[in-house]
Amino acid sequence: MFERILNAFWVLLGAAAASYAWTLGVVGPAGPESGLFPLIAALIVMAAGIVLLLRPADGALAPDFPRGAALGRILGVIAGLLVMAIGIPYLGFAVTGAVTMIILLRTVEQTNWGASIALALVSVLVVTWLFGHVLGMVLPRGPWGW
Amino acid sequence: MTRIAVACALAAALMAVPAAAQGDPKAELAKLKPKDFPSQPIEYTVVYPAGGGMDVTARLLAKFVEKWSGDKIIVNNRSGGAGMVGHSYLATQAKPDGHTVGVLASLVWGDAMLRAQARWSLNDLEPIGYLNSDALTWVRQTEGPYKDMSLQQIVQAAKDKPGTIRVATVPGSMWDYIVEQIEAASGAKFLRVPFQGGGAGITALVGGNVDVAQGFYSEFRGHLDGAKVAPLAVAAAARMDFLKDMPTFNEALGGNEYLWQVVRYAVVPRGTPADRKAYLGAQVQTAMKDPELIAEYKKQGVYFDPKLATSTKLADDLATYIEAERQFYVKTGRLK
Amino acid sequence: MDALGGLATGFAVILTPGNLYLCFLGSLIGTLVGVLPGVGPLAALALLLPVTFTLSPVGGMVMLASIFYGAMYGGSTTSILLNIPGEAASVVTCIDGHQMARQGRAGAALGIAAIGSFIAGTLGVVVMTFFAPLIAAVAIRFGPPENFGLMVLGLVCTLFMISGSTIKGVLMIALGFLSAAVGIDVVNGRERFTFGSVDLSGGIELLAVVIGLFGVAEVLSNVETMTKNTLVAERIRGLWPTLADWRASWMAILRGSGLGFLLGLVPGGGPVTASFVSYALERRMSRHPERFGKGAIEGVAGPESANNAAVAGSIIPVLSLGIPGNPVTALLLGALIIQGIQPGPLFMTQRPDLFWGIVASMYVGNVFLLLLNLPLVGLWAQLLRIPYRVLFPLVLLLSVVGTYSANKNVFDLWVMLAFGVAGYVLRKLEYDLAPFVIAFVLAPLLEQSLRQSLVMSPDGAMILVQRPVTALLLAASAVLVALMFRRKARIEGGS
Repeated sequence: MFERILNAFWVLLGAAAASYAWTLGVVGPAGPESGLFPLIAALIVMAAGIVLLLRPADGALAPDFPRGAALGRILGVIAGLLVMAIGIPYLGFAVTGAVTMIILLRTVEQTNWGASIALALVSVLVVTWLFGHVLGMVLPRGPWGW
Repeated sequence: MTRIAVACALAAALMAVPAAAQGDPKAELAKLKPKDFPSQPIEYTVVYPAGGGMDVTARLLAKFVEKWSGDKIIVNNRSGGAGMVGHSYLATQAKPDGHTVGVLASLVWGDAMLRAQARWSLNDLEPIGYLNSDALTWVRQTEGPYKDMSLQQIVQAAKDKPGTIRVATVPGSMWDYIVEQIEAASGAKFLRVPFQGGGAGITALVGGNVDVAQGFYSEFRGHLDGAKVAPLAVAAAARMDFLKDMPTFNEALGGNEYLWQVVRYAVVPRGTPADRKAYLGAQVQTAMKDPELIAEYKKQGVYFDPKLATSTKLADDLATYIEAERQFYVKTGRLK
Repeated sequence: MDALGGLATGFAVILTPGNLYLCFLGSLIGTLVGVLPGVGPLAALALLLPVTFTLSPVGGMVMLASIFYGAMYGGSTTSILLNIPGEAASVVTCIDGHQMARQGRAGAALGIAAIGSFIAGTLGVVVMTFFAPLIAAVAIRFGPPENFGLMVLGLVCTLFMISGSTIKGVLMIALGFLSAAVGIDVVNGRERFTFGSVDLSGGIELLAVVIGLFGVAEVLSNVETMTKNTLVAERIRGLWPTLADWRASWMAILRGSGLGFLLGLVPGGGPVTASFVSYALERRMSRHPERFGKGAIEGVAGPESANNAAVAGSIIPVLSLGIPGNPVTALLLGALIIQGIQPGPLFMTQRPDLFWGIVASMYVGNVFLLLLNLPLVGLWAQLLRIPYRVLFPLVLLLSVVGTYSANKNVFDLWVMLAFGVAGYVLRKLEYDLAPFVIAFVLAPLLEQSLRQSLVMSPDGAMILVQRPVTALLLAASAVLVALMFRRKARIEGGS
């Protein structure tokens, strides 16, 4: 079932991209315009999606999507990365990283509190030192200056 | 770890140098330093990838600013979108607390006027110090059908056989504009081959894939020395010191509109406190007086625009150049 | 000066304590940087450039160059151990290398990667020593039509990499093309598929894509089935490549060296393209292509050799002509310029000490790197015994920093997350992700060269046939496609 949804998605994506590419112009006086390559690519995506939709569903492919605890773990990881992406510009890398690591260590596979906090702090410190000082990269800072 | 060690060694070496290095400029600078500033390394933002001409300029500047002020400077490349990403960052996202300085090329003017689309404007970037200028130069091969030709002869050839003389351009920038101007003024017609940057065009020239390339001195100097390319003309107001035999476009074609240079200067985001802005500006200006830095820049083939180098109101003086560019855009229908 | 005389000069320059130390230091830093996911030689060189101001030109260049090829040694480490590419040229190593690690054969994979890198790196420098000027003269003639021919050949090789459903593979390639179109159209400066977003106007960052598709997606996959005590590899089976491994790999190493060197020469080529094409080539040449993707050691040996040979290949245009073919060599060029040196056709004769010093340092550097990396194999393999529940948050943290290091833009983290989730879902539905990445890398160059060629040519598309090298490359591509269809027909006919 999910596969059919994905195949339909390809068709829609291809169609949308193709129509956008068309508006960019396909062929001009000097040869291909901006839209030509994306148009061809989008049409291929659409065609492939249609072929896949039309294929008889082979029962062998029944992807097992995670349920229960497994789903929880997956969502936990995604949530962790979301926290990093949202939080870094405001709280800086160090704090967001430490918080995220603690969350991941605790919730995704219950490492105990002490070890989690210790590991998170050490990791963030080492990474910040390695990238920020040794390599001289500018890591985002929070409102407290680091 | 080793970087810190090398920096320590360098600091020690500098301190060992007799008092000639010390003295008034450092003290003057220290007097302007605001309290509690800087509380973290100052970021010099470069909007182009590392290793390019702008990057080299910024890194040399940072080296000398560090020398005179003692503050730590980190050069950060925020590249992408041909500079657009970095320009937008400086204009809209960078914190105006004095810890971010943009080291820009005047290509930002085109970005602001044509592509920013009301998301930001040049008023969001306040100039604090002039660095140098680089004028666009045309070069040709030393072999092939156009060897030994002068600029006028090539333009004539482009008139006689329109659409056959291949010129390397970077679309949407001064590389394109000067070709437009020449075509409009002389009736010639060139065949414009697009490249991602001046350097790629010069590579193509050496390989015989285009007939004329455009770029800056630092980009073709090696080939010039190796007698693979020859200079045609430069789009500046006066001839270049290092290529005195090369005419300016204005001389060769007559007129005074063929002025296309990249002006490099430093900015801070709007809203930076006045004392920090003044200090940062003083840092840049002090570094720019160092004869060593001037010599390094000269090796790159840049020149120092006399009006901007001695300007006391940099923003106003730059505004005249910006206005000239804006007039060009209006005249050619790119701006209303 | 002839090659051997030049080498003698070069070794005289490099075999001083100061320069040797810098070469070693650069090798060490390069390895380290290669190991760190996402941070590649470009980031390291950019960050360490100021240090070279205080060094002599030879010293500075030797250090920077050794960081460049050092990163190619180290880049395979996290690819093999954790399925996170150490840097873009090690993405393909993830495919079979990580499978080997899961089977407990991380040591063999790491060992073959190191030794293959050494052989390829050294071979590359040998060719460079004797043929640099000749090669440079040929490379400079590569214009847009030749680039186009090469990219088409590379793309055809991508078709060989499709494991499983061809339709899905082709779809992935097309998606790669579409994704690559986001950003500014180089040929006319217009924005495509950016929908007004400034972040998208810079295009989608390759590093964010590969770290997401391979690193984050791998974490999601593993996390799904993990327990408290899951390890990446249950048992470490031997630390060194076996004789069987060597028999399987030695041809791959040689082919990778040759291929990598050639691809490194071409502008727009370089280690990344070389690694992809080598993988495709190995699959094509293998008698048992179905082994690929399940831990075939040739899939590690070939690409890792190719990316090292490509370093030597890409340095030649810089030193002999002053022309950089990829961002890293552009940076090396910038470093030379800052030192007041302008490489060009005269560089070799004007500054033989510098030119040959760099060449000689590459021999020495490769030896240093072999000595550095081999003993570390055992150490890295132990890393896999850390419980996954502790390992993966660290992996994610490094992924975030590595991705951020590309453009210092938080937007790339969102890209990484999006591609991570997409990669996870697509893998479940049996889509092969490698073709997407290759198409994503090759598409801009392919499109740009074709359109440039058409603009340049007075006869339109005929230029592709008129220029001999281009015609040859396109013919080779056509032959390969025909061979591929014949093979498929045979397989499907026979089953």
